[in-house]
Amino acid sequence: MGLFGSGKQSGRERRAMKDHLVELDELRRTQLRDLGEMTVEMAKTGRFDRERLSDQARELVGIDRESDLIAHGLEEGLTLEQLEDLARSDERPAADPGK
Amino acid sequence: MRKGALKKKQRQLEELHLDRCEALGELILGMYVQGSWDEDTMSRGAAEVREVADELDGLKGPAEEPADSAEVDLPPPGEDTAEQSLPETGESARRRIVPDPETPETSEHTREHEVASGPVAAEPESKRSEPKKSRARKRPSGPPAEISDSKPPEVEVPKAATAKPQEASPVPAAKAEPAKPPAPPLPARPPVPPVPARPPVPPVPAAPPAAPARPPQPAPTSPAQAESEEAAAWQKKLDELDLLDGKIGKSVSEARTAAEAAKAAAAADSRTELSAIARELEANRTNLTSTLAAAGKRLNEAKKRADDAEAKMARESAASREAAAGWVRGQAAEIEADAALAAEIAASPADTTEVTDAAKLRQAELEARIGSLEASLEAEKASKIEALTMAESRLKAIEESAREAERRVEEAEDSLAEAGTAPVAVEAVSGIVTEAEAREAAVTWLRGQIAAMRKEIVKGGDTESQGGA
Repeated sequence: MGLFGSGKQSGRERRAMKDHLVELDELRRTQLRDLGEMTVEMAKTGRFDRERLSDQARELVGIDRESDLIAHGLEEGLTLEQLEDLARSDERPAADPGK
Repeated sequence: MRKGALKKKQRQLEELHLDRCEALGELILGMYVQGSWDEDTMSRGAAEVREVADELDGLKGPAEEPADSAEVDLPPPGEDTAEQSLPETGESARRRIVPDPETPETSEHTREHEVASGPVAAEPESKRSEPKKSRARKRPSGPPAEISDSKPPEVEVPKAATAKPQEASPVPAAKAEPAKPPAPPLPARPPVPPVPARPPVPPVPAAPPAAPARPPQPAPTSPAQAESEEAAAWQKKLDELDLLDGKIGKSVSEARTAAEAAKAAAAADSRTELSAIARELEANRTNLTSTLAAAGKRLNEAKKRADDAEAKMARESAASREAAAGWVRGQAAEIEADAALAAEIAASPADTTEVTDAAKLRQAELEARIGSLEASLEAEKASKIEALTMAESRLKAIEESAREAERRVEEAEDSLAEAGTAPVAVEAVSGIVTEAEAREAAVTWLRGQIAAMRKEIVKGGDTESQGGA
């Protein structure tokens, strides 16, 4: 029984969430590689631009947050609408930990 | 085979490169999340990735060159090899090389082969060093020996000839074998007449075909000459076979070297991977230690703040209690004074028509005193209300700090849960939780005190109104 027991998650929604989770995982890997290559390039020049690294890492944090949300929706059996509500309720300006 | 191994190795290196890039990205992400940038660690991670990239570049560079050289060195595809260096069919080969065991020409042929093997042995070192070459050279000399034992050699010679290209590539052998017709019986061949006065064949040069080095001979008129030509042709084929065998041996040795190199590289890779994992573990452990240290530091700070807040609250509550007691004492004294004044007024005759001047003076004095008392009471009341407001605001601040402390305790618990449980940290957390409970109890007590003070103020107001009445 999920947090939001009123709605029931359909099979299509579940598949869509799973597909999206896979996409997010691939995107995360790509972004991680980009971040690693960017770091290697910066190491070649001998100077690490933390702002650029932070920008890239911020995108990764966003991807992670979205993945967590989708995984939570899959675990709890939330519908897409409920997940959207949950995402909107969770949207708040977080402090940038990298700065 | 070598090309395939190189490609496999290249693929493995590419995967390793991607994995390391991802690991470095994870490292940077962790630094970003923790907000602690460590450029040394970043440099180390980048150096590891660059190391793999360099290795990959180094592999990509020479990977193209040996592929071409292998193509150049190796014999052309099996069909051509079989067609060029081997007799087309088993029948023709037999017709060319197999002499009649009855005739003395056989020994001449044997001698020819032995003579020819001298210059072939003087070939370059690379060819001589190959072990298969000696075996190949033994093969042509086999048939005459078998011939001397009057055994039919036809079956063995074509097999040896077709077995060569099988080592180079299985395709030509498979193609050549079906073309081999069944061996006809040897006695069907007409016997060759003996040629005793035949000049010995000069030695055949090694690498190029032996035909140009042969002394010019007249057109084949006799069967002996035809036989010698066939022997020369066979020698030429043998030389080509030797060359081919040398090339095959060279290719095999190169393939072996490449396989050993690939094996060594794989071992080195595994060692590099192990060292990278060890370094990663070390970095993780360092991160964990630093996280634990940071969590402990935050816990200590929260504990210190909680202690400060508790001491401040105790001081304030003591001061408030003292002020309330003083105010209550003052109120009691004033009430007693008012009661005494009222009793005095009541004791004096009310129906006295003659009021002395002294009494008037005393009355005025009493009224003035009552007015001053009322004013002081009002001022006291106002100050109490102000103190009450301040106490309320202080209470709010204390509640806020208590909430802040609770939030910090929760954060510390979360960070501890992330970093793993340490007994010292758990004790610190339980201590802080106990302090938070104590603080909560103190806040409750303070609320009770404020309510009591309010009651006292209300009671004081009632008393004043009764006194005024």
